[in-house]
Amino acid sequence: MRFSDLVHLCRQNLFRRKSRTILTVLGVVVGCCSIVTMVSLGSGIDEQNKQMLASMGDLTIITVTGTNSAGGMQAAGPMGMADSSGTATARLDDKAVKDFRSLQYVAAATGHITYPSASLTAGPANRYTNDAGTIEAIDMAQFDAMGYKLVSGHKPERQGEVLAGQYTAYDFADSLRLEGDNYRVAPMNVAESCTAEERANGCRDKSDVQDPFFNILTTKITVAAAPSDDSGSTSSSSTATTTENTASASGSGTQIQVSGLLKEDYGKGQATSSGLLMDIGMLKDLVAKIQPGAATSSLAYDSALVRVQDIDHVADVESQIRTMGFTTSSSRDMLDSLKEQTRSIQLILGGIGAVALVVAAIGIANTMVMSVTERVREIGIMKALGCTVHDIRAMFLVEAGAIGVIGGVIGCLVSAVISLAINLIRYGGVSTEHLQWAILGNGTGDESARISVIPWWLYVFAIAFATLISLISGFGPANKAVRVPALDAIKSNQ
Amino acid sequence: MAWLASPPPTANMDASIAPDASGVLATPAPRPARHNGTHPASGRPMIEVRNLRKEYVMGAEHVIALDRINLGIARGQICCIYGESGSGKSTLLNQLAGMERPTRGGVRIGGIVVSRLDERELAEFRQKHIGFVFQSYNLLPGLNAVENVAMPLMFRGVPREEREARARAMLRRVGLGKRLNHYPSQMSGGQQQRVGIARAFVTRPQVVFADEPTGNLDSKTKVDIMDMIRDFARENGQTIVLVTHDEHMAAYADRIVTLLDGRIVHDTEQDE
Repeated sequence: MRFSDLVHLCRQNLFRRKSRTILTVLGVVVGCCSIVTMVSLGSGIDEQNKQMLASMGDLTIITVTGTNSAGGMQAAGPMGMADSSGTATARLDDKAVKDFRSLQYVAAATGHITYPSASLTAGPANRYTNDAGTIEAIDMAQFDAMGYKLVSGHKPERQGEVLAGQYTAYDFADSLRLEGDNYRVAPMNVAESCTAEERANGCRDKSDVQDPFFNILTTKITVAAAPSDDSGSTSSSSTATTTENTASASGSGTQIQVSGLLKEDYGKGQATSSGLLMDIGMLKDLVAKIQPGAATSSLAYDSALVRVQDIDHVADVESQIRTMGFTTSSSRDMLDSLKEQTRSIQLILGGIGAVALVVAAIGIANTMVMSVTERVREIGIMKALGCTVHDIRAMFLVEAGAIGVIGGVIGCLVSAVISLAINLIRYGGVSTEHLQWAILGNGTGDESARISVIPWWLYVFAIAFATLISLISGFGPANKAVRVPALDAIKSNQ
Repeated sequence: MAWLASPPPTANMDASIAPDASGVLATPAPRPARHNGTHPASGRPMIEVRNLRKEYVMGAEHVIALDRINLGIARGQICCIYGESGSGKSTLLNQLAGMERPTRGGVRIGGIVVSRLDERELAEFRQKHIGFVFQSYNLLPGLNAVENVAMPLMFRGVPREEREARARAMLRRVGLGKRLNHYPSQMSGGQQQRVGIARAFVTRPQVVFADEPTGNLDSKTKVDIMDMIRDFARENGQTIVLVTHDEHMAAYADRIVTLLDGRIVHDTEQDE
């Protein structure tokens, strides 16, 4: 018997008992729907996590913290993720950075130096001050390849030009104002909204955000060494410029000009948020000027940043760097632990879905058993006329499989609609933008993260699974049909 | 998905033609000359039955439905198996067509030992060599006349257009040219049986078994149906085994084998 004939017969049989077919298919639709929806909620959690991390920083950046602890400049790496497990043999120098760059899948790598606290002043009569300004330095040649982005301005072009973090200007205090009222409210540390009572206790919300005191792009900043405190090693001639009445900038510090604002990205160092970023060479010159006591040799890299081409290879590159003897950290660690946590939730959700599909499978088995019972005569006739046992079995399996495929496809379509509805409800209404976020998933930031995400493979899996379950539940009845004796066909009506 | 594929042609079928080891069929039993059964035109009978016995176990009892049946039916012969109900004639038909396995003895059709074939070989054997006409027509209710007639060809894997063309031609020959697309429920008993006959003969089988083909019909239709079966058989030299308890129908046969209590009590050949 040809396959096309089997399909044709199957179609006729399914159509002959329309209501029963529809009900059985409905069972599969519900089962398939619940599996897809549940798993989509699980992958929604994944997407929300991912977007949360992405808003925190570039996920493809690996921070390499070396073991070179000679200099007094040594500081914890960005985000304080320094790790003590590295071996002492590897030295984080230009050669090491070059080695990183030559690794497969590495897009860029740069050395990184943090000058943890410099005294920064700006404005008329150095009115605006920041006693603990972070200065970071990278190899500016790698700036673009590392994925640094500017929110305004341009890259440093002339001598004395540097970049500032997105919110650096908010770190300056107005020395003419009273303590407690001398900072402007920055957008990154306000609450979503505050009640009047909370406001009285110091809560500030979005409506309180103000512009910084001065435009950092047009105001020159004076850099000086931080006032000596615990270290006691600053035996330099530089005068600490912390007080409001220190007018002269020429002798005690170096003037720099901010040419652009960096986009905040925790993966690439604190300077992208609050601080200054400049070329390594420039930092060395600067430090030599403002703090001659510090030896330039001690300005070794405190860390290196390595950017991997895509997130899938981060683990790979990271382990290679580790085998070279360095300590590394990346947001992948966080992603992994988050994934671990969501996995159990996803399993529970998937389990609930699977139960529904098992119920559907019982429905299919029931339908097929009934179908065999009421077609005993037909099966007998077919056998008497020379239909092989193979074909009888195939007939019933094709029927069961068809119910599974149809139910699976309809179930997937319905789940797509359900998923869309869930997401639109979460966005709070239908609009072109919301539809784009929900369907294409191209939104960025927490706001556009979807609750329900259906990856393409989930559709394929759901249809395949529904079909498989149908075939399995159709197998018993099909074998029962095979055992129907041809004789019954003749006897049954005599 | 091997189960979807048609089974490969079986090699066993040919192997089963080889002399069988048990000797049941190898040594011809002595037969009375008058019902030799061998048609003058062909050397060997189309259907050979040797020493057939069939027992049924019903509860604690053994019922002997058939015993010591020896029979040879020549190619092209119309043979009537005649008997009252309960005489074992339907049981004999089932043994001949390979629907049931005999308790003892063997059946050979066209050189193939039917009683030795397994399930799959039997199905193929029926596809190729056997046609059936049933008392209760046994058409599939979900298929129309053309599809019902084309069904045995479908099992053989004949493409749709070809088999439906053959089915239509066959239906026109039995006088149902205007009811090609009717479903069984839309046809009278006589019409349904004509569809049944078309279905039995569409594959040009060597042997057609007819089990009380006119049992449910009125007397005028009976004659039409029997004429039709006989004409088809004569045209292609096909062997017909007709099971009936109706003496009028027996008159159509070349030969009448009478069964009583599971044994052959009469065997007469008659001229038309």
